[in-house]
Amino acid sequence: MNAINPVPGDALEDSVQHLSFRVRQARYALPIELVREIIEYGQVTAVPMMPSFIHGVINLRGNVVPVLDLAARFGFELTTPGKRTCIVIIELELDGNGQAQRIGLVVDAVDAVLDIDPRDVEQAPPFGTGIRTDFIAGMARDESGFTIILDVRRVLSLDDIRQLSLMQQAG
Amino acid sequence: MFNDEQWSQLLRGFIEEGRDLAKQAEEYLLVLDQEPDDEQAVHGLFRAMHTLKGSAGLFTLTPLVNFTHHLESLLSTVRDGERRLTAPLISLMLRCLDEIASMLDLIDPDSGELPVDEAHQAQLLDALAEQTGAPRAIAHEADDAAEDCARRGTLERCVGCDAAGAWHISLRFHPDLLRNGFDPASFVRYLGRLGEILHLETLAEQMPDLVEMDPESCYLGLEIALCSSASKAEIEDVFEFIRDFCTLRILPPDSALDDYLKLIQDLPETDERIGSILIASGLLTEHELAEGLALQAEVGDGLKSPLGSVLVEAGMVPPKAVNAALAKQQSARERPNRESSQIRVAANKLDELINLVGELVISAAGAQLQAQLQGSADCIESSQTVNQHVEAIREAALKLRMIEIGDTFNRFHRVVRDVSQQLGKQIRLDIQGADTELDRSVIDKLADPLTHLVRNAIDHGIESAEQRLAAGKPAEGRLSLNAFHDSGMIVIEVSDDGRGLNTARIREKAIERGLIDPQATLSEADTHMLIFAAGFSTADAVSDLSGRGVGMDVVRSAIDALRGSIEIESRPGLGCTFRIRLPLTLAIIDGFLVSLGDEHFVIPLELVTECLELDARLDSRYGYLNLRGKPLPCIDLAAHFELPSSAQGRRNILVVSLGRHQAGLIVDRLHGELQTVIKPLGLLFQHLQGISGSTILGSGQIALILDVASLLRQLQQHIDHEFRSPQPRPDLMGS
Repeated sequence: MNAINPVPGDALEDSVQHLSFRVRQARYALPIELVREIIEYGQVTAVPMMPSFIHGVINLRGNVVPVLDLAARFGFELTTPGKRTCIVIIELELDGNGQAQRIGLVVDAVDAVLDIDPRDVEQAPPFGTGIRTDFIAGMARDESGFTIILDVRRVLSLDDIRQLSLMQQAG
Repeated sequence: MFNDEQWSQLLRGFIEEGRDLAKQAEEYLLVLDQEPDDEQAVHGLFRAMHTLKGSAGLFTLTPLVNFTHHLESLLSTVRDGERRLTAPLISLMLRCLDEIASMLDLIDPDSGELPVDEAHQAQLLDALAEQTGAPRAIAHEADDAAEDCARRGTLERCVGCDAAGAWHISLRFHPDLLRNGFDPASFVRYLGRLGEILHLETLAEQMPDLVEMDPESCYLGLEIALCSSASKAEIEDVFEFIRDFCTLRILPPDSALDDYLKLIQDLPETDERIGSILIASGLLTEHELAEGLALQAEVGDGLKSPLGSVLVEAGMVPPKAVNAALAKQQSARERPNRESSQIRVAANKLDELINLVGELVISAAGAQLQAQLQGSADCIESSQTVNQHVEAIREAALKLRMIEIGDTFNRFHRVVRDVSQQLGKQIRLDIQGADTELDRSVIDKLADPLTHLVRNAIDHGIESAEQRLAAGKPAEGRLSLNAFHDSGMIVIEVSDDGRGLNTARIREKAIERGLIDPQATLSEADTHMLIFAAGFSTADAVSDLSGRGVGMDVVRSAIDALRGSIEIESRPGLGCTFRIRLPLTLAIIDGFLVSLGDEHFVIPLELVTECLELDARLDSRYGYLNLRGKPLPCIDLAAHFELPSSAQGRRNILVVSLGRHQAGLIVDRLHGELQTVIKPLGLLFQHLQGISGSTILGSGQIALILDVASLLRQLQQHIDHEFRSPQPRPDLMGS
C-alpha cells in the first residue's frame, strides 16, 4: 500500500496522480489522466524508414497502435525486452484537431501511482538528468529522490518526428 | 410545445430538408437555363421554394421566410406565364439560392437563431427587383398579401376581396390536441401570415357539461374565412404538425373555383387518376386524397363508391370540381406503384457497422487459421462456411455506403455555367454514367479535385468561340464527365474538346521552374504529368479561376490520398482527357500478402499483374530486370525498407502495374490473396512514404499495406538518378 500512496492522505488537496515507471536507471512519471492501460510487452511490428525510437505498431484488440521506445527517444540504446518490460498506452490529442490518438510507450518497468503535490515539483536543472531538458515538465521530489515528470507533448512532438522521419527516409 | 431537444431535432430535420430543396431548386434552374419553357421545372422550382418557405415559417425563421417569399412570388408570376426566366434572372436566382443555402448553414439548431447578412440580402433583392422591372416595394405590395395583411391587421380589408372571395377553412380539433403539446391559437396566428383572417368562428358544441369536461382535452372547432393568395396546399401546410389531431376541410374561394375547373380542363393528357388530377389542379391536397381513399375503403365493403363522391361527401372538394376531373379521367390507366422505399440512416451508424464487419472479417480469418492448425476436417469446413458468409456480409455492408456519383456530377452544371459565363465561352456539359456507384467517403473527397479539373478544362482547355470556329470546330465547347467500373476500380473521366495540352510549353515551364533538368529526355506522358507538380502553372495570365499554380498538385494529392491514380490523354487540337482511377472503397480491399523476413506486407490485389520466381540477382536496391525481353524496373523491398532479408530460399517478383507504369517488387515469400481491412496508421506515420496503412492478419500479427504509387515514384527517381540512359540488362534474368 505504501508504494501506491506514499504521501499521507490529508496533504493531498491539490496533488495530481501520476504513474511512475523506469527507463534505464531513472524514474519518470506521467499524469495518470493520460494513461489508458498498461500491457505486457508483446509482438511489435516494425515500421520501416522511421526513426529508431518509433518502435513499430501493435495490435491492441483490433486497433493498430504505434509504439515508441522511450529509451531510444531519450537517446539511449533500443530497449531489449525483459521480464518487466511494459507498454504504457496513453491517449492524447496530438495536432489540435480534437482527434485523440492512442500511443504506446515502451518502459523498462512500471513502479507505482504517485500523488504528486505541485509544491514538491521543481524546475528541471539545465543538465545532469541525462535527457533533453525540454522533455521535462518538472522534477518531483520525495524521500527516495527525484522523479522526472515528462512533458509528453514534447516527447511526442509531431514536428520533431516529422523531421526525423523525413531525414531517415532521405538518408 | 416541445422540449428543447425535440425542437432542435426537428430543426435539424428542417435544415436537412431545406438543403435538399435548395439543391433541387438549383437543378430545376439549371434545367430552365437550357429549356426556359420546361413547365415541369418551373412548377418544381416553385414547389421547392414554396415548401421551403412554409417549413421555415413553422420554425419562425423570419429572415428565411421573407427572403424565400420574394423568390416564390417571382416564380409564381413565371408559373402563370406573366414572366419568362431570362439568363440574367437565372444567374441572379442562383445567387439567391446560394444565399438560402448559406442561411440554412447559419441556423443554429440549438437556439433556432438565424443571423443574417442583411446588406447582402438587400443587395440581392434589389438586383432581383431591378431584373423583374418592379421596384422592390411595389413587388412587395402586389404579391405579398400575406405580409401585407398581417401588417395592416384588421384595420382595413384587403383590396378587392371580401368574405365571399375568401378561403373557407373548417377545422375540428381532436380532443388529444392539447395533450400532445399543441396550442390551437398558434396555428391560427401562423395562418394569419398567409393572409387576412376575415372571419373566425369558434364552435364549442362538442363541449360536455362542466362536470364531465376534461381540462386537458380540446373540444374546439373553428370556421375560418381567410383572404389569401396562398394555394390550398400552402394553407394545409400550416396545419401540417397537427394533421393527425384535427379534421381539416379547406374550400377554395367561390370566385376561384371556376378557375380551378378551367385548370382541370387545361391539364395535359395524362394517365393520372382522379385524385392526382385534383391534386395537380390544386383543389385537393395529397393528404386529403389519402384520407379520402381510406374513407372509400371503409365505406365500400362490397360496392366501392367512387372516390369522387367520397371526396364530395367528406366535403373535401366541391362537386363541380369532381365532375370536371372525372371528365378528364376518361383515358386514365393504372400507373405502376413506384413508391420508393428508402431509409435515411445516419452516416456514422453505417461506418460503425462497416467497422464491425471489418472486425468480423479479421476474426473469421483467425478462426479459419486456428481450424487449419487443429486439422479437424469438420472444423475447417464450418469455418470455411462462416468465411463465405462473412465475405457476403462484407460486400453487402460496403454496398450500403455506395451512392451514385450523379449528385456530384450534377453540381458541375452550375460550375460550368458560372465559369463559362465569366469567361464568355459557350460550353455544354455532358454527363455519362451518373448511376455509377461509389463509396460515400470517396465521393466526398472527390468533389474538390473534380472541381479543379473542370475549372481547368474550361479555363485552359476549351478555346474561345472565335478560336474554335477558326480551328473548324463548333463554337460551343464540350466538356464531359464520365464514370464507369473497370476491373474492380472506378474510372472517372473529365474530358474536353479543347486545344489539348501543349507539351512543349509544359516542358519549357518545367525547366524554367527548375522542375526538370534541361537535358532530361521525358516521354510525352511524363511531361504531361509535370502539371501535377507543386507550383506549376502554364497560364500566361493569372486569372480569377486558375493559373496560380495551385490546383493540379492538390488534385494529385487528393487522388493519392484516395489510393487512386490519375493519367492524362491529350490529343493536340482535339482535346484532353483526365482519367482518375479509384478503388471502390476505402475500408476493405482485396490484398495480396507477401513477406520480407518476418514482416508481412499487403499489396492491393488489383495492382498485381503476375508473380514470378526471381532467378537472377539485382545488384542494387533499384534496377532493371528482363521480363520477356522488356526491361522491368525493379525495387528490392527488403533493401529499400532496410529490413533483414531471409537468406534461405528463392525470392520472388511481384509485377505491379499502375496506369501505364509497370514495376517489379522483389519480396521473400508470397502468401496469396487476403481480405484486407484497412487500419490507418495515424498521425505519427503521416509522412511515411511507401506505406499507406496497415491491417491485422488472422494470426493477430500486423501487416503493412504498401503504397504502390509512392513506391513507383521513388523507384522512378532513383532510376532516373542512377541510370541516365537506361540499359536493359538481359543477362539478369533467365528464360
